[in-house]
Formats: sequence, structure tokens, C-alpha cells
Amino acid sequence: MAEGLERTLGEMARRDVDVLVLGREGNARFVSDATRLWLAGTRPFAPGCVVVRETEAVHLLSITDFGVPPDIAPERLYAMSWNPENIMGAVAGIPGVSEARRLGADGLTPLFEQLFAGTLPNAELVDGEAVIRAARRIKSPAEVDRIRAAVAVAEDALGAAVDALQPGVREFELKGVFEERMCRLGTTIPAFEGTFCVVDDGPIRRLVSDRAIADGDLVAMNAGVLLDGWEGSLARTWPCGAPTAEDHRRRSSWNELWGRLVGQCETGARVRDLRQTGPDGRATVHGVGLGYEGLEDDAVLRPGMVIQLELEASGILGADTLLIGDHRREALTMFPPAAVGR
Amino acid sequence: MSAELDLARMRRERHRKLVDALDAQGLAAAVLLGQANVAYAIGARAPAADAARAAHQRAVAVVTADGAAPHLYTAFPDGVPPELPADHVHAALPVEWPEGAVSLLDVLPEGPIAVDEYTMPFHAALAGRDIADATTILSACKVVKTPDELECIRRAQSINEQAILDVEHLVGPGVRGTDLSGAFLRRIFELGATANTVDPIWQKMPSRISDGPYSLTGDLVFPTPTTDQPFAAGDVMWVDTGIDYHGYASDFGCTFVVGGPTPVQRDQGARWREILDRCLDVLKPGATGGDLVRAASANEARRPWPAHLYLAHGIGTNSAEMPLVGTDLGADFDDALTLVSGMVVVFEPLVWDDGAAGFRAEEIVAVTDDGYEHLSGRDGGPRG
Repeated sequence: MAEGLERTLGEMARRDVDVLVLGREGNARFVSDATRLWLAGTRPFAPGCVVVRETEAVHLLSITDFGVPPDIAPERLYAMSWNPENIMGAVAGIPGVSEARRLGADGLTPLFEQLFAGTLPNAELVDGEAVIRAARRIKSPAEVDRIRAAVAVAEDALGAAVDALQPGVREFELKGVFEERMCRLGTTIPAFEGTFCVVDDGPIRRLVSDRAIADGDLVAMNAGVLLDGWEGSLARTWPCGAPTAEDHRRRSSWNELWGRLVGQCETGARVRDLRQTGPDGRATVHGVGLGYEGLEDDAVLRPGMVIQLELEASGILGADTLLIGDHRREALTMFPPAAVGR
Repeated sequence: MSAELDLARMRRERHRKLVDALDAQGLAAAVLLGQANVAYAIGARAPAADAARAAHQRAVAVVTADGAAPHLYTAFPDGVPPELPADHVHAALPVEWPEGAVSLLDVLPEGPIAVDEYTMPFHAALAGRDIADATTILSACKVVKTPDELECIRRAQSINEQAILDVEHLVGPGVRGTDLSGAFLRRIFELGATANTVDPIWQKMPSRISDGPYSLTGDLVFPTPTTDQPFAAGDVMWVDTGIDYHGYASDFGCTFVVGGPTPVQRDQGARWREILDRCLDVLKPGATGGDLVRAASANEARRPWPAHLYLAHGIGTNSAEMPLVGTDLGADFDDALTLVSGMVVVFEPLVWDDGAAGFRAEEIVAVTDDGYEHLSGRDGGPRG
């Protein structure tokens, strides 16, 4: 049984959930390890994957077994339809679904809320995202290895962008260089379309423009890839050309905040505290796994969690992926923090 | 790209349509969580991202029926349209969590509201409240495009087509789909694309369906994700790509034959042209989806598109939206769909000769007052 499925079934048992109906691709991938066509952006909820606790079976919306692991037999595939009632009918026909007392969904639309109520009137609808989030949070060593592999691709691709960071290059060209390199390394899926933005006064822009980068500009770069669904991502701020005295001043004040922040990233730390850096910077923290994983303010760091810690301060943007251990943390991202030594 | 485009006017006209639709339905407001809907209602931009990241960093729009400027909750201030008043732009609402969902309730106006989708905490927070479906309201607003919207689609498609022309020389024995994606993605950004929206598809087609991959429906399997398997001479490659230009999607499809097409393959392309021309011959305001289905299917042994897809679909801030034509929604649905000026139709029929593979391409037109105009180029048959 796939590792993700086993942990999900355990979490379903703990929370007394009989069936999970998943619309989010990362969740479906966690229980199935299937690769389906990637689309950017949010999609309205639709039942793309079903997990039944009683049968321990995963059922997938797919008209083919292409990209589907062999342990999910063809009879566990159901076809897509433009008629949501047909999809709901297919879900209701899955062994174990119509008997479910508690059914977890990871999202909902007004239409599917009605269809659930009409098709499975005896099932209580509960928060399935919370179930699967809990199952995904602590990473196994094998999962950490998959994140490491994705990080290696992301760092290689970021290196290509840094090599292209010459006076006159435009911001969008760096995004293109990153993605082209990512594809050459075997994955065509960005975790997100990267930031490659000249730092001005005020908050750092996150959407690339057609601006030509000039000698002496500081450029904030934040980019990532998904490799077989697993995310590798990081942020660095590099100068175009040699760093200036002003760059060094900015970096040393960023370093001071960063050092304090990273030092807090230990087992037992509360995410809310990590997010509160005071007026001098803006820190964000989220989980990393099969893409972005949410962390609530009250979440507490535990061994095996992989987090992305990002800090924007003094016009410097930096982010690393950290594996939380029993007694120490390990940075999975190792790209040089600045121009020195590259 | 010489035609006029006024993005602020486009946003203003879309907002007015939505306000009028809310008012007509007696609704006080629409709360929008879907990114294609936020893009439509406000024109806010966020970096394209994997679905999970997009969900956690989602912008939320609250559009009120009183016609006042909408409220936007976003993590990306540099993606906010310049005309939106500063006091209508707010920090992102963490609607993935109960406290964020509850705080969204605090900013809703009194009265009946419409919602397009829920996070589970938002659904819980709204328990007991009567909620209308915003998706159907948005869908009705989106289906007829303004001239600025048509221009965005035209530009998105033009960038997409140019990028394909620029990577075409790479198609040859030994090339991998991942190589083509790399060159394509780099090129679309250089050409001014706002984002890429779908993993570019370069699918090697079998000679016959039974050669695989496994098909649940017994019909053609398409599309499948891109791999790093090299193509060989003679391979038939179906291409399907989509990019974004200021919130609007392109949709490009064509057929490559590695090493160049045979006469049989050229004939397949010609038969596809005939199917498309039959559709275009009947395409004008007042024609129905059923008319298009019948035109495409005339003289054909089977419907020239896979059962799980469609003959044609609309496009806009969603990569596939109304009008949907030839789906499993059925003949009554198609017959009830009447085309009007300003609708956009993406045709994607195919020709399949089991044993000799087939040909697939796409062409986009907008319905005009007296017929149609192309928003895409006209397909010229198999390439390579």
C-alpha cells in the first residue's frame, strides 16, 4: 500500500471519517501517487479522487491508466463527465460510499453541496482537508528524499537564471530561463511562476515585468518546481554585477533577522511566533511536500515536518526549505545566499 | 497586435455586467474564491501557481449589487488594478482556516449572497445561510465577450501560435516532450505571456486505440501528461497548449508528424478542414450548438471528437467555459444553446483512422453580427 494512503487511512480512522472525496490534486496524488494533467491555479471542487476506509481502496477520475500506479486497478477508475450528476453517480456507485456515515470533502461548491445532500442523504459532510492535511504533515525519510530531488532541480534552474543575470536582461526573461532549465532537467511543472524582480523602495514586487535589469540592481528571485508532484523551491536576492556597500548593509541587517528566525525553527516552536518578526521584516512559513502545504497559526513544529521559511526585510528576499529534526534543523536548500563564491 | 486594448475599460464593463446580474437576481453580493472568477470580476493578478499554492494564496473578491467598487483581499498588491480605491484593497484572508473564514463573514453585506466555491471552513462559517450559486451567474456574464476581451484572447492566441512556430524546428527524431516544453515556456514569456496555464501537451498517438494506453471508455485517450520519452521518425504528435494574457486563456492545438506527414496524413488534415468548414458554414447568430454538432457529424461514421470531450467550447478567464458543444450533456443541451454575437467558440474536432492514427487541431472564432471572425490562425494541416 502506498505510504500516503496508509497514513490517510490511519487519520480517517482516528477522526472517524468513512470516505474522503478529494478535489485537490496534491491530496489525490498523496493517496494515489498518480500523475494527471497539470493545470495552474485553483479549480472549483469536483470529486477527482475517492478513498474508502472500509475497502482501503483509492478510486480515481481518469479515463486511462496512463500515469496511474498499477496498484490502482482499471476498475477503480471512473470517467469524467460534463454533467456533475454523472460524476456524483459514479462516486455514489463506488463500493462503500453509499454506506458512509461521515464523508470528508476537501472543498465544496454550492452545486456539489446539493448533489452530496441529494445523492448521499445519510452522510454527514465534514472537513476532509483537515484529515489529509494531518496525514501529509510529517514526512517520511523517503518523502524527504523526493523533496531533496526537487530542490536539486530548483537550485540548478535558479543557477541558470543567476547566470543570465546580466545588465539589460529583462525580468520575464529570467523566468523563462528558469523554466527552460527546469524542463531540461526533466520536469515541466513549476511550483509557481517565479519572482525575478528588481528591488525598489517598498515591498518587493512578486509579478515579473518587462523591466530591463541594470548593473547594480538587486534582484529578488523566488522560484520552485514540482518533480513528480514534490516541491523544491527557494528564494534568493542577488545583485546584477558586483554587490555595493548598500547591498552589504542590507544583507547584514537581513542576516541578523534571519539568523534569529532560523534559530527559532525547532521542535516545539509555534508557527504564529515565527510569523511575528516585528516591524523590520515580513516572515512567512508554510509546509512543503506535494506542493504548498498550509500551516495554521497554532501549528507546532515537530520532527519530520518540512517547512519553507521566507523573510523579506531590508529589500532582501530569502527563503529556505527546512527539515525539522529532533534536536536540530537541516536546510534542504543550499544555494549560495549571495554573489560571493559563485 | 495593433488593435486597441483598454484593460481599465474591460474591467469596468465586466464589473457592470456582474453588478447588473446580481441586481436582477435580487442578490446583495457575490463572494468569489475561484481565481478565474476573481480575475473576471476585478482583474486582479497573482502569479500562476500549482493548485495548492494558488488556493492558500488565493485572492477573494466581494462584489456588491449597489455598484460600488468591489473589495479585494489579496497577497499580491502589485497585481491590483490601479483604479481600485485603496480602501477597497485589503490583506489576504486566510480562508483555509476557520478564523479567516469567519473574518470573511464580517465583511459581507446584509442580505442574500452568492458564492462560487467554499473552503471547508468557509462552508462551516456560512452554515444556516441561504446561498446562491455564483458560478451560474458568472457563467452567464462571461459567455458574451466585450471587444477588449476578444482582443485579449486574440493576443493570447497570437503569442501561443508564435511560440509554437519558434519551437517547431526542434521537432525531430530524438526530441523529448520536456525539451519542447522548455523552449515553449521560455518563448511565451519573451513574447509577453502573463502566465502559462496548462502543462504543454505533446502526446505521442498510437496507430490504433487498442495499442494503448488503456481506455476506460474505449475511445481515444487524450490528453496525457508530457514525458521525457524521445520521439522517433514517423511518430504522430498531438499538441495542446494554453497560456494566459491579462487573465485570458489561449488554446492551441495542432498535429506534428515527426519527419514530415505522409499523403495519408495530409488527407486526414484535409478531412479535418472539411469538418471545420462545415461548422463555420452554419456559424452565425441564431445557430444552435446542435446545428454545429450536426454539421460536424454529417458524412462521418462517428462523431469526430472523443465522447469524454467536446466538439467545441468557449474560452475566456476559464480555459474551457460556455458555450460547451457536443458534450455528454446531450442533444437537448446542444439544441437549447443559441449562439449570439460576442460568443467565442474553440473548435477541436479530430479525424481518427484506427490503424493509421489521426489528426487533431484547434481553431478559435468569435461570433459576429453576421457570421464569425477568426481569433486564431487557420490550421494548415499536419506539420513536421
